[in-house]
Amino acid sequence: MIPGHGTAPVVETRQLIAKYGERTVLRGVDFAVKPGEIKVILGGSGGGKSTLLKHCLGLIEPAGGEVRLLGQDLTTLKGRAREQLFTRIGMLFQYGALLGSLTIAENVALPLVHHTDLPKDVVSEIVRLKLELVELGHAEHMLPSELSGGMRKRAALARAMVMDPEVLFCDEPGAGLDPLTSAELDELLMRLRDRFGMAVVVVTHELMSIERIADSAIMLVQGLPVADGPLDEVKQVDHPEIRAFFGRVAAGEMRGSRSALEILTGRG
Amino acid sequence: MSTDFQCTDSADGLVLAGVLDRDAVPVMLKALARKRPAAGARLVLDLSGIVDMDSAAVAGLVTAWRHAQASGAEVTVHAPSPVAQRALQMFRVPDEIIPPPKPPGLFEGVGGQVIEGLRAGRDFLRLTVDGSLAVLAALWGWRRTRWAHLVEQCIYIGSQALPIVGLVSLLVGLTLAFQSAYQLQQFGAAIYVADLIGVSVVREMGPLITAILVAGRSGSSIAAEIGTMQVSEEIDALKVMGLDPLRFLAVPRLLAIVLMVPLLTALADLLGILGGFVVGIFYLDIAWSAFATQLLKALNAFDLMSGLFKAAAFAYGIGLIGLHFGFSVRGGAGEVGRTTTASVVASLFYIILADSVFSVLFYVIL
Ligand SMILES: Nc1ncnc2c1ncn2[C@@H]1O[C@H](COP(=O)(O)OP(=O)(O)OP(=O)(O)O)[C@@H](O)[C@H]1O
Ligand SMILES: [Mg+2]
Repeated sequence: MIPGHGTAPVVETRQLIAKYGERTVLRGVDFAVKPGEIKVILGGSGGGKSTLLKHCLGLIEPAGGEVRLLGQDLTTLKGRAREQLFTRIGMLFQYGALLGSLTIAENVALPLVHHTDLPKDVVSEIVRLKLELVELGHAEHMLPSELSGGMRKRAALARAMVMDPEVLFCDEPGAGLDPLTSAELDELLMRLRDRFGMAVVVVTHELMSIERIADSAIMLVQGLPVADGPLDEVKQVDHPEIRAFFGRVAAGEMRGSRSALEILTGRG
Repeated sequence: MSTDFQCTDSADGLVLAGVLDRDAVPVMLKALARKRPAAGARLVLDLSGIVDMDSAAVAGLVTAWRHAQASGAEVTVHAPSPVAQRALQMFRVPDEIIPPPKPPGLFEGVGGQVIEGLRAGRDFLRLTVDGSLAVLAALWGWRRTRWAHLVEQCIYIGSQALPIVGLVSLLVGLTLAFQSAYQLQQFGAAIYVADLIGVSVVREMGPLITAILVAGRSGSSIAAEIGTMQVSEEIDALKVMGLDPLRFLAVPRLLAIVLMVPLLTALADLLGILGGFVVGIFYLDIAWSAFATQLLKALNAFDLMSGLFKAAAFAYGIGLIGLHFGFSVRGGAGEVGRTTTASVVASLFYIILADSVFSVLFYVIL
């Protein structure tokens, strides 16, 4: 965290609108992440969580509204200033997105090699440290295609952390991991927050994980936030999707679609 | 067909009994169609005797229910057995059916394609400008450029293409010489086979053959590689790490292809001429010294340089086209295959088009 930046949000969107072709996926989302907090993005599958993350990172041009990352407007930031900004953030993609032509170690080293003048052996040492953090020390020289899905995910996390970012974005870090590894990963995210004041933005579906790590949460339903704030408050919000999410009511019953039996017997 | 299914008429509908599964559904639907309830009528299906039921059966019943609704009638189920109840309870029926998007009409389709084409053209221009600037920047700041990627690409685009380019050029040289030898012999002008082969290989055949082979080999693989990276979000990952995909991916490929294709062309020239030489010596009985003298008289430096220059121009275009199609991939793996094919067709078209433009240009210059 940069001293003096205090409590200004590290990530912020205002009235963000996102479209894929004609389809509107986000319809006016206000979203903010404070420095040093773990913010969880909740919402059903296909609800626009990954889309929101991609907008925060400037990977997609917003159809409307504003996006600010570490205080800078991504839509106008170009060239070296943009590259410099990206050295201060990390992103764990939903499916890892490791470069298939490079080994795990080379993947992790990539940002270091291109953005710093560190000598080679220091770079390899940093890579080893980070890989050890995600328990992948033994996989250093393997290609991504030789790893399992969960291992790829962890390698990608190591790459996302390699520059000691101020903000770390994680798209479903726990998906594809066994419960034990997933819990260790949560542990790691919290350590990063506590030791380095790293802000972490996490998309996740896993209740256990949410309970463990979330400082605050935002819930997206059909492209709109229905609740945003500290986790305890979000859980209390009286909205059918939130009740369903935390109370585990089947989504169909909630949405009011009827079973074949109800239809055919003329009930309901 | 299931023999364990019975369907009998009752006063107000049908009695269904036994195993109602995907084999029995057509039977049930046929029986229902015979009954076809009039508007306002009500058809009751007695399910009390059902002993087993699958999802096809549920879908069949819901379909019948929908048809009836559409014609203002009603289909209901009576006294479903526990098994039938469980099956029907299992599945939920969406409140509304979303129609598939309409395929565009003729005019919309054509209009849409024109707009797509314009957009692609604009993207290609932007890539050409940005890519060229990135190449210049990499050359300018050569100290900070990572040449390892370039070497890797040069090996792939250049060295590994040597055998195929060499072999094809040799064969084309041989064939060309044979074809013309027969004609030339009739006029007693066999020695001119050296002129013919020399000029046509160095000016046209060498650059063309090389470019076409490289388009098929490397242009397509550039498109496929970048396209795959696009699909698996690797391009996004590069951007997020502050690495410009143009500098990181496009520059080494463009530089390698522009460096390697002229070299390959020089090899193609040599082997093409060797093909002619072999025909001249062994078939036309020309002394090798006479052939060589004739060849050197016929060729000049301009022929050679213009051929190599053409090759470099073809190469740059092939590289840009491969990159453009690769970066334009949206969606899934299927799109990568389709786009790769399209990139090869575009490259070949570009090569032929550029070649004719050069022919006119060089004709005007000379
Ligand atoms: N490249 C794309 N082109 C078109 N539509 C897309 C694209 N990516 C996502 N969508 C659509 O946008 C909506 C939101 O997608 P998004 O990936 O943001 O959902 P998500 O909340 O991350 O879901 P999940 O939990 O399954 O990852 C989905 O309905 C999806 O169909
Ligand atoms: Mg997602």
